[in-house]
Amino acid sequence: MALAAHFNLILLRLRLQLRNSYYRSPYVSSVNSPFNLSKITIINATRIRRLQLGCYYCVSNSHSYTSSSSSSSSHLDAKSYLQLSDGELMKQCEMSTFKASGPGGQHRNKRESAVRLKHLPTGVIAQAVEDRSQHKNRASALRRLRTLLALKVRNPVDVDAYSPPLELLQILPLKSTVRGAESGPQIGPNNPKFVLGMQALIDLIFAVEGSISEAAKILGLSTGALSRLILSDDSLRMAVNDLRASKDLKPLK
Amino acid sequence: MKLGLTRACFGCRPICYTTSLPSSTLNKPQIPIFLRPPAYSATSLDLRKWHEWAKGLAVSVGSSFADADNGPDTNLLCRELNWLLQDSLEDPKHDIRQSNESLMLRTSLDDLYHLWKQRIEQRRPFQYIVGCEHWRDLVLSVQEGVLIPRPETELIVDMAFDEISKNESLGQGLWADMGTGSGALAIGIGRTLGTRGRVIATDLSPVAVSVTTYNVSRYGLQDVIEVKQGSWFEPLKGFEGKFAGIVSNPPYIPSEHIPKLQAEVGRHEPTLALDGGVGGMDYLIHLCSGAATMLRGGGFFMFETNGEEQCKLIIDFMKNELAGRFCNLNAVPDFSDIQRFVTGVRR
Ligand SMILES: C[S@@+](CC[C@H](N)C(=O)[O-])C[C@H]1O[C@@H](n2cnc3c(N)ncnc32)[C@H](O)[C@@H]1O
Repeated sequence: MALAAHFNLILLRLRLQLRNSYYRSPYVSSVNSPFNLSKITIINATRIRRLQLGCYYCVSNSHSYTSSSSSSSSHLDAKSYLQLSDGELMKQCEMSTFKASGPGGQHRNKRESAVRLKHLPTGVIAQAVEDRSQHKNRASALRRLRTLLALKVRNPVDVDAYSPPLELLQILPLKSTVRGAESGPQIGPNNPKFVLGMQALIDLIFAVEGSISEAAKILGLSTGALSRLILSDDSLRMAVNDLRASKDLKPLK
Repeated sequence: MKLGLTRACFGCRPICYTTSLPSSTLNKPQIPIFLRPPAYSATSLDLRKWHEWAKGLAVSVGSSFADADNGPDTNLLCRELNWLLQDSLEDPKHDIRQSNESLMLRTSLDDLYHLWKQRIEQRRPFQYIVGCEHWRDLVLSVQEGVLIPRPETELIVDMAFDEISKNESLGQGLWADMGTGSGALAIGIGRTLGTRGRVIATDLSPVAVSVTTYNVSRYGLQDVIEVKQGSWFEPLKGFEGKFAGIVSNPPYIPSEHIPKLQAEVGRHEPTLALDGGVGGMDYLIHLCSGAATMLRGGGFFMFETNGEEQCKLIIDFMKNELAGRFCNLNAVPDFSDIQRFVTGVRR
């Protein structure tokens, strides 16, 4: 972890925001007073399943993580994470900073304001370091977390009964034949809503085993047009290529 | 002095000093670089030359400051250098690697050389050089004579916010920030209070009072925050039992540590803001006793400390010497997991 090269990374136990969150139980035990954060134990690690290659997480419900084949109904799925407000999403995160050596506080003038957020339900980690205040780093780490959740957390898709959700239609080029006028103008990668569409697109590509031509057919696009859409955003391109690599397919260029 | 903390009173007399100040020009707050008019022109070529020179100095530092007193290393200094550049440029996003064009600066190129030399040779804190500190979502003006607010202290605002959201009456009440420095806590809390909530910010230092007044008006909080000069509770006479909340980050460094501080701190920040006496607890103890008198029932206090040992001593002191006056006494850790704050509620 290059960012941390000069710091010891330490985990702050849960942050204040976690106090009232629903993770108190069953994930968090022995919170004995509102501000006593020191005795909190975190999460059952076996609940997080990390698939090494490409690092995909499949979510079937809020509490257990399984491969997509065994997943069924989802009342809090990956998409719902992205629809949470910043505050709500933050409550699902453990925040840590890069520990300063020495006593800190008034003793010290050092501007390392790195922030690392770990999204407890999925284990996805985002960090930010470049800004001047810790507060702003928290905001950019949270933004990054949203992108990573979209890239890494997979919602199960039933290909046979599939119809593309609105947030996916909105990022498709206008010439898509499944896209009606009601989807409005095309949303580009700079729009915060792009993340949701991107997640739905990767879900679909994941469900069709990485085949761009098949996904394109479902989305009423030519393979070339869908490839161009994927290549228009770096993180989307990388996620799709990781996924394809895990299926022994060659990368899109 | 009349104590009506209503909007009307704040409106007509935004600042009430308990002690009359020397002529205000003596304590005229300095304007941070990023707020100054872009009155100096330079070429991007000259700016690149300065940047290269400055980077060379930063590189020559290596880890020597870090090894000597836990000061900044080359990486951190390079980051600061870019921030200095951003603050100085009329357009902070301007890319000076572009060919050779003319651009506008908020401080002269000569000054930039001079300031960076001070940063490296005298270890003058970066925040005094640019005249501001980014703290939470605020950008606070700071200058010599005022403590640069620390990231740890940001948590006090979070905690106050949490308390206020649990108990709305706290947010409509009167708060005090004792030893306000740049006004960081008063402003952070002032922005989270309800329409009737008010803060009194006090400090003994006239520079702190003037800088806080400037920061308060930059955030348009003149109607919410009153700044008073004086020693601890002395400017609050008449408010006994009235406060919904008291926060403070008083000087808490044990006197015996003062000579060994990181150069940026020890050589440049005011001793008045750092030195907490032998053991560092002189003011904290005073504040604890004061909080017993000044808080109303159910009122909340939060003090920053030097760490676990001071937290323990304070909690012991409150449980023994001030027995029966407080409940919910707690030590709260900072982001680095050091027990940093003591909080409690007046019975
Ligand atoms: C550690 S600084 C904290 C400043 C600011 N609250 C912050 O957190 O950034 C302590 C402050 O206490 C002030 N101070 C020192 N002695 C004081 C006294 N007797 N009465 C009031 N304030 C005092 C100093 O001037 C300084 O601004």
